[in-house]
Amino acid sequence: MAMPGFGLSPVAVFLPLVAAPAVAFFGKPLQGAVVNLLLCGCVFLLTVGIFWAPGDGLIRADRLGALFGVLTGFVALTTAATNIAFVRAEAASMSVRRWRVYHAMFAVMLGTTLLGLYADNIGLLWVAVEGATISATLGVSLPRTASALEAAWKYFVLGGVGIALALFGTMLTYLAAQPVLHAGLNAMSFSALEANAAHLDGALMTLAFVFLLFGYGTKAALVPLHGWLPDAYAEGPIPLTATMSGLMLNVALLALLRFRHLMQVNFSAHGGAMQPGPFLLALGLASLLLVAFSLWRRRDARRFFGFSSIENSGIAVFAFGVGGAAVIFAGLLHMILHTLVKSALFQALTRAAALRGGAGPGQYGFSHLRGMLASNGWLGWLLVACVFALTGLPPSGLFASEFLIVSQTIQREPVLSLPLGAGLVLCAIAIIRMVGPLAFAPPPKGAMRLPAGRGLGFMYLHLVLVLVIAFAMPAVLVGALSGIAAGLQ
Amino acid sequence: MTLYALGYPLAHLLGGMMLLCAFSLLSQRRLSAMISIYQIEALILSAAAFWQGFAQGEWNLYLTGVITLVIKALIAPIVLRSIVQRFALIRAVETALPVGVSMILGVGLIGVAVLVVLPTTLNSMTLTREDLAISLSVVLLGLLVMTTRRNAVSQVIGFLSTENGLVLAATGMPGMPFVAELSVALLVLMAFMVVGVFLFRLREHFDSLDLSGIEDIERRGR
Repeated sequence: MAMPGFGLSPVAVFLPLVAAPAVAFFGKPLQGAVVNLLLCGCVFLLTVGIFWAPGDGLIRADRLGALFGVLTGFVALTTAATNIAFVRAEAASMSVRRWRVYHAMFAVMLGTTLLGLYADNIGLLWVAVEGATISATLGVSLPRTASALEAAWKYFVLGGVGIALALFGTMLTYLAAQPVLHAGLNAMSFSALEANAAHLDGALMTLAFVFLLFGYGTKAALVPLHGWLPDAYAEGPIPLTATMSGLMLNVALLALLRFRHLMQVNFSAHGGAMQPGPFLLALGLASLLLVAFSLWRRRDARRFFGFSSIENSGIAVFAFGVGGAAVIFAGLLHMILHTLVKSALFQALTRAAALRGGAGPGQYGFSHLRGMLASNGWLGWLLVACVFALTGLPPSGLFASEFLIVSQTIQREPVLSLPLGAGLVLCAIAIIRMVGPLAFAPPPKGAMRLPAGRGLGFMYLHLVLVLVIAFAMPAVLVGALSGIAAGLQ
Repeated sequence: MTLYALGYPLAHLLGGMMLLCAFSLLSQRRLSAMISIYQIEALILSAAAFWQGFAQGEWNLYLTGVITLVIKALIAPIVLRSIVQRFALIRAVETALPVGVSMILGVGLIGVAVLVVLPTTLNSMTLTREDLAISLSVVLLGLLVMTTRRNAVSQVIGFLSTENGLVLAATGMPGMPFVAELSVALLVLMAFMVVGVFLFRLREHFDSLDLSGIEDIERRGR
């Protein structure tokens, strides 16, 4: 069904990147938001079209990349749609020039995220992650407050270190491929590496994997390297620094998954590589457990849910570490569901903060947002649904993936199922305890009943999709995901 | 060809000189001296890139050498010096760790780099594997500089030194496609834009570029 030769992948990647300078120099904030919406609409259509025309060459979506590309395009589209209300509410808080930068960075982030998903080249993947880091740092620094600058600096330093380590790992991977693939572009292509994984230089590949793990692990916010994420999520314009940069976590996680696959194949073929599982299990578990204890003390909603993103990165990496088709299927499912839930939640939080007087950073304290049902029923229930969905308790969608991961862990790594279960339960309790105050508590003085504005439907759509994917997954998706998981086990 | 016979010792000499520079970055307390050392390191790097380009017959590496020479060895130090002058940062750098301790840590890191790289690369060419050990040491020392300094400018210098190590590794890779070098150069350029922006804005909010002030905000803010 795929047309050979012609591919939409590069178009989807370069359209936002080319549009970014135009948005950066022209237009009022609201015009920028509308252009951004149109752009995201086109990109979404392209990401869907990629299934039929992935193309070939350096930028060529494989099935995994195409699947997450659609997810990225969809979340970007709904974020851009709800972004219009955000810009309207916050237009006065930043100068016109900064709004232009904001929308340009939105486009760059979208383009680089797609590049990271579609690139069939470890060097291009690295460039994508680097570009996304730069655009995210610029985005975080936009409000120009002291805490935003602190967050941006932290992001820059940690992200820079991560990027440096990832590049070293990338070069080592290239070197490890020399014995089979020889000099040239082929030795950097994921598909060529995958086809020859058994014959790579195992010892070098192990060394490379350690660097890649810490490099891309920084971008996936795994625990010793997670410091930037809560700050970056808490500062900066929320659609850019929380929702869009959440999509970047997926790129880093998928990169780890692909490199893990190379290692695992090499290990199974006695090529000299170490087993990658224990590394991933350790980092994943550490992330989960750290979050389980640090969720209790957060008063700012964005920071709080930032920590929950670290938790979910940890869960996905843990799943990849356990290994085997079923659990990788579950890990990928978890990433998809979490992305949908978390982006809806951040969109809803933006709306909630706007109802309470402003959606800028610092206005997301739980005490400030409490009692949302009294302000707006639809929004209140939406927040309840999103926060509950994050706990992973039934009947939330995340239950399906977490259940699969736990049951597979009991089968394959029984010793680890105890800390995994404890971490999941602790996180669930810490999150569910926020539902009550957020929705049902008496609102702060002066809070009025206000209309929530248009766009809530998109957020409900996210949640409906989560439920459908989790409990009534279409057969096409089941087939695609299990095919991918079987290929990457 | 006598010049080609020099390939091995000369590449090592240049790498070793870079390592020396990276190491002396650790010991320097003054920003202006750190910038000078960084400049020398970048010069040696461009020489190493030219030499590798000649030895491997790769034209791409000459381009890397030129980029390194112009951006890293000339423009970057000028910008850094102007920042130092503009903010009157001539005074001594405050380090988070005593210099002696960080030197000992640095020696340890070099040891780790050698012990990690040499046994894992037995199948590769000798030149590549020893180059790799040296460049990994430079990378790690740069990261150490970043962690032991509190001043924003010296953290940036540490980061740039790390990048030099990365480019050194890339030039030593046999026939590595140009993607990597180009993007490293790009990163430096971008990093400067970003960092320049940061530094000027940090100035608006804090009286100095000493980032320890930032932690007060952290305490008050949460």
